[in-house]
Amino acid sequence: MVNFNFAGIFIATMSKNKLYWILQVGGWGLVGLVMLLFAHIYDVQIRTDVLLKRITIVFFAGIITTHALRAVIKWSGWMLLPVEKALPRLLVAVLFTSVLFSVLILGSIEIFNLSTESKQQISFFQKVLGSTIDNGLFIFPWLMIYYFYHYYNKSRRQQLDTLKLESLVKELELKTIKAHINPHFIFNSLNSIRALVDENPQRARKAVTELSNILRSSMQTEKMETVPLEKELHIIKDYLALENMRFEDRLKVVYEIDEDTLDQPVPPMMLQTLVENAIKHGISKQINGGVIKVVSDFKDNYHELVVQNTGQLNGSVNTEGFGLSSTTNRLNLLYGDKARFEIKQINGSLVEARVLIPVEIH
Amino acid sequence: MKAIIIDDERLARLELRKLLQEFPEIEVIDEAVNAEEAISKIETAQPDLIFLDIQMPGKTGFDMLAELDKTPHVIFTTAHHEFALKAFEVNALDYLMKPVEPKRLADAIQKLQLSESKEVRTETEYTNNSILTENDQVFVKDGERCWFVKLSDIRLFESVGNYAKVFFGTNKPLILKSLNALEERLDEKTFFRANRKHIVNLRMIEKIEPYFNGGLLLDLKGGEKIEVSRRQTVKFKEMMSL
Repeated sequence: MVNFNFAGIFIATMSKNKLYWILQVGGWGLVGLVMLLFAHIYDVQIRTDVLLKRITIVFFAGIITTHALRAVIKWSGWMLLPVEKALPRLLVAVLFTSVLFSVLILGSIEIFNLSTESKQQISFFQKVLGSTIDNGLFIFPWLMIYYFYHYYNKSRRQQLDTLKLESLVKELELKTIKAHINPHFIFNSLNSIRALVDENPQRARKAVTELSNILRSSMQTEKMETVPLEKELHIIKDYLALENMRFEDRLKVVYEIDEDTLDQPVPPMMLQTLVENAIKHGISKQINGGVIKVVSDFKDNYHELVVQNTGQLNGSVNTEGFGLSSTTNRLNLLYGDKARFEIKQINGSLVEARVLIPVEIH
Repeated sequence: MKAIIIDDERLARLELRKLLQEFPEIEVIDEAVNAEEAISKIETAQPDLIFLDIQMPGKTGFDMLAELDKTPHVIFTTAHHEFALKAFEVNALDYLMKPVEPKRLADAIQKLQLSESKEVRTETEYTNNSILTENDQVFVKDGERCWFVKLSDIRLFESVGNYAKVFFGTNKPLILKSLNALEERLDEKTFFRANRKHIVNLRMIEKIEPYFNGGLLLDLKGGEKIEVSRRQTVKFKEMMSL
């Protein structure tokens, strides 16, 4: 009972198991000391060696039974139950433990012949019944300490987990915003534009417009859940036009757009992320460049969006990359498990990212 | 100073060329669009300086440098600095952010000329181009970490299978070069083959002790103890006694 305060102090520095054993030995040692004190104060008529042996029995019986109780609590998972469900179970456990405790003590007293009564007037069963009530006074506080220590620890851990989760969500949100427009792309584009100012002022002017369009829409679309495909395609066309200015004849772009799909709602900047990935992991790694093909059509009851690029899918880097996991997350948020997203190598030199969005039937 | 511009984007090369017109001391002798092309051009033209884009198709700029026997002065050009700096232990490299600010370019070139004038080179050092001199620097890449190391800062090369472990400062990264290949390129006045497994820098020796079988034991400045084989001991003594 006194030990409860110590617990708090030692939690941080000690391993849990070590703490448990220190408290066990300390607590039951204290019980033994109190017994010794009482015998002294009330001048109980008992031989010293008998008293010491009985105290030893109580000490070990206490540790053995409560250790068993702990094993049962751990095994049964009662600590995970809500308080109102755990308490009745624990009270029953206290009763059983107290009986076991009494049987152990009284049994040992019989075996080692340490009984103080000269004549056996009361039956063993009656004695167990009587001492169970006494001993419950030890087991019950033991359990309370055990339970509340863990209860306190658990709630603290939960608080910590909540905090961690919150910071993770914030980080993800931030990353999403950043991932939409890659700074690398912006600066490379600006660099090309500067070179074009002398070489091809017409193209340079157009490039400035394209870049502004992309920056503007990436800021606006943050707030929207979906946009019509047509709007998303405008951004992609501007984006690929700028990449074309950088890569020149190393990048070829092909569009295969079913006009009926232009009104379909799509998550903003999702297709753009896929196209950007296709450039970053595909085209920019090919010495001779390659092709990017953007497809939009209907397939059964789905709106199908496909981005193909020249390149090799390199498992670990690609599937865990932020662009792809954010695509999966956004689709999940909007359509649950009804939408699908996959990326795969379709032949030796082509990688394909495919999104299937369920079409709403009016 | 002869320079080569290495970048996969034509407009980026064009822009840098235009900026460099302000610096008559820098003569752009060639351009390369990827690492492979750059390596052959560097080896034949032996430029004093390269402007190197880090992200290129095929090999990155770092991979390219690690393949060179000796690296000229390097000024990195990149659009994204995180990528460039992450790889570097020492921040002792020059890098320019694209689009390049003319003032930063001027600073980098000035810094380069200062360090160039400090390296007093004698004419003889240029006579044989295939031998690396003490002032030459090599680029060492070990996994994610990279270093520019002057040969004079290297204490020891140790053979580890097909690789050689390079000891300098507190680092000992591995490079994919055999000890025999290294021995051929290193200046024998400075670098001495002590035994089958080790080449030591003679200027890094702190103490010489006699050892078993008429061999020698060299204490290097980094604390390494290297045994000189009996055969090499004869040669070592010859070199040391005028």
